Parts: sequence; structure tokens; C-alpha cells
Amino acid sequence: MASVRYHEVVRVFGRDQRPAVDSLTLEVADGEFLVLVGPSGCGKSTTLRMLAGLERVDSGSIWIGSRDVTRVSPKDRDIAMVFQNYALYPHMSVEQNMGFALKMGGTPRRETKVRVGEAAHLLALEEFLGRKPGSLSGGQRQRVAMGRAIVRRPQVFLMDEPLSNLDAKLRVQTRTEIAALQRRLGTTTIYVTHDQVEAMTMGDRVAVMNEGRLQQVDTPKVLYTRPANVFVAGFIGSPSMNLQAARLVDDGLWLDGYRVPVGRDTRAAAADRDGAVVVGYRPEAVELVAEDEPGLTAVVEAVEELGSDVFVYGAFDATSETVHAADVVARVPVDAPVARGKRVRLRIKPEAIHLFSASTGESLG
Amino acid sequence: MRALADLSIDAPERQAIRSGGVLRALRVRTALPAAAASTWWFVLPALALYAFIVLVPTVRGSYYSFTNWDGLNPVLHFVGWDNFTAIVHDEAARGAIKHTVLIAVAITIIQNAIGLLLALGVHSQIKSKYVLRVALFAPAVMTPVVIAYLWQYLYTPDGAINRGLGAVGLGSLEQGWLGDPSLALWCIVAVIVWQFAGYSMVIFLAGLQGIPPEITDAAAVDGAGAFRRFWYVTRPMIAPAITVNLMLSIIGGLKLFDQVWVLTGGGPGYATETLSTLIYRDAFQFGEFAYSTALALLLTVFVAVVSGAQYRLLRRQEYA
Amino acid sequence: MNRYTWRTFGLELVMIATAVVFVFPLYVLVNLSLRPQGQLVDPLGVHSLTLANYSDAWHQAGLGRAIFNSVVVTVASVAIVVVVSSLAAYPLARSTARWSRWMFATFMLGLLLPFQLALLPLYTTMRDLHLLGSLWGLVLFYSGLQVPFSVFLYTAFLRALPRDYEEAALLDGCSPLQSFRRIVFPLLRPITGTVVILNAIFVWNDFLTPLLYLSGSDRQTIPVAIFTFVGQYTSNWQLVFAALVMGVAPILLVYFAMQKQIIRGFAGGLKG
Repeated sequence: MASVRYHEVVRVFGRDQRPAVDSLTLEVADGEFLVLVGPSGCGKSTTLRMLAGLERVDSGSIWIGSRDVTRVSPKDRDIAMVFQNYALYPHMSVEQNMGFALKMGGTPRRETKVRVGEAAHLLALEEFLGRKPGSLSGGQRQRVAMGRAIVRRPQVFLMDEPLSNLDAKLRVQTRTEIAALQRRLGTTTIYVTHDQVEAMTMGDRVAVMNEGRLQQVDTPKVLYTRPANVFVAGFIGSPSMNLQAARLVDDGLWLDGYRVPVGRDTRAAAADRDGAVVVGYRPEAVELVAEDEPGLTAVVEAVEELGSDVFVYGAFDATSETVHAADVVARVPVDAPVARGKRVRLRIKPEAIHLFSASTGESLG
Repeated sequence: MRALADLSIDAPERQAIRSGGVLRALRVRTALPAAAASTWWFVLPALALYAFIVLVPTVRGSYYSFTNWDGLNPVLHFVGWDNFTAIVHDEAARGAIKHTVLIAVAITIIQNAIGLLLALGVHSQIKSKYVLRVALFAPAVMTPVVIAYLWQYLYTPDGAINRGLGAVGLGSLEQGWLGDPSLALWCIVAVIVWQFAGYSMVIFLAGLQGIPPEITDAAAVDGAGAFRRFWYVTRPMIAPAITVNLMLSIIGGLKLFDQVWVLTGGGPGYATETLSTLIYRDAFQFGEFAYSTALALLLTVFVAVVSGAQYRLLRRQEYA
Repeated sequence: MNRYTWRTFGLELVMIATAVVFVFPLYVLVNLSLRPQGQLVDPLGVHSLTLANYSDAWHQAGLGRAIFNSVVVTVASVAIVVVVSSLAAYPLARSTARWSRWMFATFMLGLLLPFQLALLPLYTTMRDLHLLGSLWGLVLFYSGLQVPFSVFLYTAFLRALPRDYEEAALLDGCSPLQSFRRIVFPLLRPITGTVVILNAIFVWNDFLTPLLYLSGSDRQTIPVAIFTFVGQYTSNWQLVFAALVMGVAPILLVYFAMQKQIIRGFAGGLKG
């Protein structure tokens, strides 16, 4: 068990202009469960593979504990990895698959058998030990892949989208099992996924990446309530945060009927391009109000009934001077009178508004 | 269910069928047996050619090997096992059997070992892999006769090999090569290996390319160095390619004719005579048709036995 | 793993060196073919170059005619093999009747049998039919000889082909033969490519049977023509080499033009 540290790590593929991983600096504490999340192509898998030693590090360094492992070959890093497609050896039985690394490490056969047995017990795989991966279901194979990693008692677990090949229900179930397992074993874990729900529910901390750069690394709650930039704001949360272009005027931000007071430093920070900003607010920050109250009018385009929540998708149909036309998603109470084509009046809770610079995307407090 | 053929051309079922979707549900029952039953005659042309060129002559040959056939006289006498006992007593034939087996085994081992190494090299991250593949496979498509003559020159006492050795100061290693009874066979083996190592390589490459890279990655993470990755993970996963290569080399090696005939003609003396060259020689130089056919039957049995045994052995390693 | 390390570079050098060693004899071949007479001394270096050997060898070995003969035999026999084998494979792949399985086994027997056993009886038959010395005897020979392997390839491919198209064609009123010609056969294009390549290379390079059937005649294929020629000019290596280069040039040209398909055909067709 050890901490992990990336120090200004860069990886450029071939003659690409943009690095796949751009000057990444990240620290993972001993025993922490860190999730790397981001859209496809953001560099998260490359980041993970560099830690495994399967991908070259062009510049920068990677540390496991107090050891610089940047140039160390994978087999000497004392890490275990769960691959997206499991990578189980098709010609070996489950027991042989799980025991392979121990065999490579020279562990005596008796001890290997014992440890494989323990891991199999932990993952309810005992009845499959003699079978080959080809005869197992996807979920079972996933557990064998996990077992193969656990058996080694490594310093770090690496997991590359291990749930993406499972059906939805199994995914939810396995998610909690993995999190519980990690807590029990206490091994430092780095987990890559593109699914932000997985990220939010499993990680102690979540690192959001986009286009090779680390956007923000924080606990899920902080990421949700205080996103550092427009990308994180739009990526975290489902349905995503509403983001609109807007403009600051003398005494604040006009949202059709009421103004949001904006502090002087925020005004200064946003003082580019005549006060252009990006306004963000989550669906739950929107409420339905009566026709005659101050607010914005929207035409309902779709209604999503999810049982406990109802989401309304619409578009603002008039532009006021300070808020421009946009699409909006609002969460409304279950019995609200909404229907397709109807006009509704919406009010945005001023205390739930996030402001971002229109040019840099950074949060303006 | 109504017969498909009874449906009118506009029936919606027929439309669905034409679009292929419903077809799988309605499947085989009516359409295919009818088709198969009426297409049995499709095999006739191929069967006729095959029977005329391969089956009938083979049967005749097997029969003639038990007679005193001379290729001309239609009157034959059955002589039982005489031809075969003659083989046992014929020094040339015994030698030919020995050489045939030796060549086949040597080729199989050496050519596949080199082919495997080449495949592993080409399958790596090096930049010249495509050029290498084309260059190394090229000899395999070239006419064996041409290659044999080329090498015959290289092997002559003042051919390129001896001159080359002399030029780098290894003149003491110069040999008679094809003229040396103890070396000639190995010279032939070298030529075959040179020509077909690329062939083995290509088949191994196809096997290697079928291994998902994740699996070798996983083995690396599991602590296996390069050789152990190959032995425990790669090798079992290319077992089918190994089977194909070994089978092809053994059978090809046992039947070898062109290169031997051109390079040495079976000489010096009978030092490189193989079953194939002996069959040709006994029939067309000595006119011993029946004897030659007996040799051919022996070769056939050989090939059948070796193929069968090897196939069974190799199939087992595919599931190991 | 995507690491191009120093070790990878070392491997690259080793592989390139190996390839050079492999290709070396071919270099000697071309080099010496361009030497004037009597200058065999240094096979590695490049000395005076001349094309005289090429024109001499061309005429004396009758290579123009030999190439023509090889082309005729190859094209004709491959065409016949493709047609009859694909046809035969159809009921073998589609029918599960017992006769179909027996027939398939009969064809597969041909894959095991070395040709030597049939060699002499067939030779006498060809002789009695006056087909020796004629290209058509050879065409007939290859058409029959290549059937088992080609049927094998076609049957394997057809078995994996979905039947939907044929069934639709049947319903649309095609007779089985029409359905085969218009619908099934075009779908076989990938495997036909493999069959053509593998068969063409084999027929083009074959030596023993043409030697038996055509030697001494004025209709020789390339391997036989080369054999006859070299038999007459043994120690004049430059001349011989020019003949060798010209003899192998056609197939090498085709190879370089189509190497991807050819290599794929070999690897894929033989994996079964």
C-alpha cells in the first residue's frame, strides 16, 4: 500500500499537436479511492496506463510511495490492473488465471492455492475455479479479473472502466461491491470511468480530465457544489447544469424581473468583453411560479417522468436584455401541471447561481 | 405453416422475407432441402475431374504395385508383395526412405523455429515490419526450380559462398557443399528453409495478430518477463498456427521433389536420393513402373500415418 | 505496450540484418546476370554491366513462348477450378444429407493423398489419350488436382455465409443454378480471391508434372524451359542467371503488386 504521485507528466502520441496527457500533476493518498473521469479521448486511460508502465512517459515522473517508477518495467511495479475487457487468459482455468502473477513472482504452490482460495471466497467464485473464462458470464468474468488483482496484494489497484461491459443492473450492484471491497482491503485504488455517476458514487476524490488536462480534483460534493470551471460544471451532474451566455450590467445580473447582486471583485474578474459571463444553475435550482410573478417564460418541449423526479425540458422564448435565449432543464415536483407545448413561468433561485468567465471558463466565485 | 412457395408475390410475409428479417424465424424447413435436393448435380463436374485425375489413377496405382506392370503391356500378373520385399532389399530405396524422413524432420524443426522467431520480430513495435514481411515472404512465391539453380551456383566450389568465406578470412571453412556426400543433404535443407521460412512466418504472424494486446499487457503487469509471456501466454494462444505449420512442413517435406532433383539429382551417388526422386528415376530412367508405384504407395502410407499421428498430437496441444 | 525503447531499436537492427542476409542471394542473382561473360570473380561487387545475357537467354531458352504457355495453363486451369469447385461446394455446404457428408469426405481424401501414387497411371492414361506434349493435358491435370483444396476453401466459406440471400432469390423465382450464378457466386468474391491466388502460384511454379508431360516438346512452361536451358548451358552462370531472373520476374511482379492480398490469402486460407 502506498501513495501515488504524478509530477508534470506529459504524453504525446506520434506527431500530434496536442498532448494526450498535458503536464499532469496529481497526488493520491495511501489507501484512497481516486476516480479519473472525463469524456472519451480526455487522456484518463493513458494516464492510468502510464502508471502501469504500459505507456511511455514522455516527460515528468511517476512515483509509487517513495520510489520513482517512471522507467521501471510493469512487472516490477507491484501493481495490479483490472482491464476493461478483463484480459483473462483464455486457455487457463479461473484458478490458474488468478494464480498466474503469484507463479511469476515465485510464490510457492501451496501458498498460491491458499491465497487464490481466499480471493475466490471473497468474490463468490469458488465453484468456478476449474472452469475456463470462455464458459463464464460477463459478470463472472469481471469478478475473476478482480480476483486476479486482489490475490496479489499489490501496492496499488488500477481499474480501467471495469464495469462498462456489464448490463445496467449488474453495473449498479457491482459498483457497491467494488467500493466495499476497496474499503475493506484499504489498497490505494485508481479507477478510470467515463460515467460520472460511477465517479460520484465510488470515489473518495474525483479527478476530472478533459483534452489531456486535469480540470479539477476534489471530493464529489465539492465538485458538484463548487465546480472550478464550465467544463466541470457541465460534466458533473445528471441532467447537466444549465449553462447560458449572459451579460453583467451595472448592478448585477438581470434575470428578467429581479437582479442578482454580484460582488465587486466578481465584476472586476468578469470585466472582459463588456461583462459577458456564463451563467450556470442546476435543474433543482429552478422552480415553477405563477404567470404573474417575476420570472422567465419557457415553452415545454419534453417532460421526463422518472418516478421520484420530473424533469422538464424547454426553451426560453423571449430574450431580455441580460439573459439570452437558451434551452433549460428544470426539476419540478411530481404533481406539477406541465405538459408538452405548455408555457410555464420559471424562477431561478439566485443563491444557486454559478458564474463563469466567458473567455476562460473559470469560476468567478 | 403454408408453404413459402404458395404465398402470392404481394403477400406481406413475402415482403418481410425479402427484407430478410423474418427469414430466420421461418428458416430451413421448406426452402433449403428443396434447394439441396435439386442441386446435387452441382458436384458432378468437380467430381468427374477429381475422379479422373486423382481417384481413379490412385486406385489403379495401388493395384499395380502388386503386379508386374511395365506401363505398356496391358497384360498383368499379380505378384503379391514381391515389389515390397524388393524395396526392403534395395539399398537405394532404404537410403531414400532415410533421407526423406531426415529431410522432412529437419525442415519441420528448423524452418518453423526460424519462422517463429521472424514472426515474433516482425510482430513487435519496429518500424520496418511491413517491408520485412514482404521481403521475407518473397522467396516463398518464387519458382522452386529457379531458386534451386541459384543455390546450386552459390554452392559450387568457386561459387559465392566459398568466395565469401575466403573473402572474410574463413577460407578454412570452404567445402564441397553439394558435392560432399555428408553435407549435401543439409545443403538442401538449408535451401528449403531459406525459401519457406517466410511462409511459416506469415502463418505464425496471423496467429499472433489474433491475440488481443490486452492479454500480453495483463501478463506483463502480472510479472512475466518477455520469455515467460511468450511461453505461458502467447504460445498456447497460437496453438492452431503451430499445428498448421507443423503439418504443412512435414507433409511438404516428405513429398519434396523439385529442389532435390535440380540441386543434386539425388547425388552425389545416392546421398540425397529421396522417395520422390527415386520414384521418378525408377520409372522414367529404369522403366520399373510397378516397383516405382510400390514406392509411391509406401510414401502415401507414410504420409497418411505421419499426418494422422501428428494431427492427433497437435490437436491435443490446442486445448492444453 | 507502446514503448519504443533502445531494446526495440536493437531488435529492428537485428531484423533488418536478417532480412539483408535473406535477400542476399537474390542480390547475387541479379548482379551476376548483368555481368559480361567470364567475369565471375567477385559476386558481391558491382562491375561492368551488360544486358547481353538477357537477350541471349530470352531467345535461346524460348522464354517468350514459355511465359505464354505458363499463362495459358495457369489462367485456364484456375478458371476451371474456380467454377467447378465453387459449384461443388454449394450442395456440400448447404445440405446436411448423408450423401453430402460422404461426398465432402471423398474430396477431403484428396488433401491427404500425395500425388506420387497417381503419377504413373495418370501418365500412361495421358499418353494413351495423346495429351502429352499438349498444354491441354496439363490444364486437365491441374483442374482435377486442385479440386480438393479449392472445394475445401469454398465449403468452409459457404458454411459461414448466411442463407438469407439464396432463400430470397428462390422465392423470387430463381432456379438454383441462376441463384448460384447471380447471387451466391458474387458473394464468394473474398474466398475466390484466395483460391485464385493460391492455385495460380502453385500451377505457375509446378515442375514435376510439366517435366513429365512436356519435356522435349516445343510447348514448355517456365520451370521446364529453365530446366532444359540450364541443362544445356551449365557453367555459363551469367546466361543462366539472366534466364532465371526473367523466369521468375512475372510472378515476382505480381507478388509485389498484390502482396497484401497474397500474404493474406496464404495466412487465411491455410488456417482452416
